[in-house]
Amino acid sequence: MKIAVVGKGGAGKTTTSAVLARSLARQGREVVALDCDTNPNLGISLGVGDLETERLVSLREQLDDGDVEHAADWDEILDRFGTDGPDGVRLGVITRIENPDPG
Amino acid sequence: MLSSGEFGTSIVVADLEAGIGTLSRLGDSQVDLTLVVVEPTPRSLDVGRRAIDLARENKQGRVIVVVNKVVDVETDLALVREKLGDAELVVVPDDDAVLDADRAGTALLDHAPDCPAARALVELVDLVFDSAA
Ligand SMILES: Nc1ncnc2c1ncn2[C@@H]1O[C@H](COP(=O)(O)OP(=O)(O)OP(=O)(O)O)[C@@H](O)[C@H]1O
Ligand SMILES: [Mg+2]
Repeated sequence: MKIAVVGKGGAGKTTTSAVLARSLARQGREVVALDCDTNPNLGISLGVGDLETERLVSLREQLDDGDVEHAADWDEILDRFGTDGPDGVRLGVITRIENPDPG
Repeated sequence: MLSSGEFGTSIVVADLEAGIGTLSRLGDSQVDLTLVVVEPTPRSLDVGRRAIDLARENKQGRVIVVVNKVVDVETDLALVREKLGDAELVVVPDDDAVLDADRAGTALLDHAPDCPAARALVELVDLVFDSAA
């Protein structure tokens, strides 16, 4: 199941995404939370802290700048550019989710 | 990119960029559920309206509108109904605990798990798996 969270700036997308992701995880489901915002802060709302959120964002920037190699698939992306958050939610910071390929 | 993913049995929750840009560039049928988050204001509802239309047009699954920061249920929902018609709605109250959690840099579920906004958002889970699509 894939869920997209959309809306005007400041409407509450990130708050909604974070609570939903963790609530689903608490039901025992495997949950991947993807922060697709150009100004990523889902990590903070999920509760991974601002340091870890910053680390993921800068990793992501290195990837976008071509400083590091692209990942081949989702699992690799989440392993290299993701983190494990509270309640077992896996968080990935993603740019250009609309592109056909991961990376 | 979403469809290329082998997420297996995982549930993916994608927090998209503000506005409808990403949604408009996403291919058809990329998600099973689109949560359209709106505030009960004309400008927010305009974006919400466009997001709903786009999601339906591009077959992004079921659409649920999260009406956030609701202060007065009656007047706020009247405006939402006027702008969004008969869309499926979830109401989340305006709640200072959300701001407090943000200020503290913490998760709402850690900061104030029993606050009205958190309770309303947690209930979304039941709707997600409700087959009434
Ligand atoms: N139910 C609520 N009651 C009061 N304040 C809220 C509520 N939901 C969100 N907020 C506040 O509104 C602001 C925006 O929330 P949030 O970051 O979740 O929105 P967003 O749609 O992700 O924003 P952006 O477009 O910047 O990514 C935050 O300051 C948050 O504390
Ligand atoms: Mg956000």
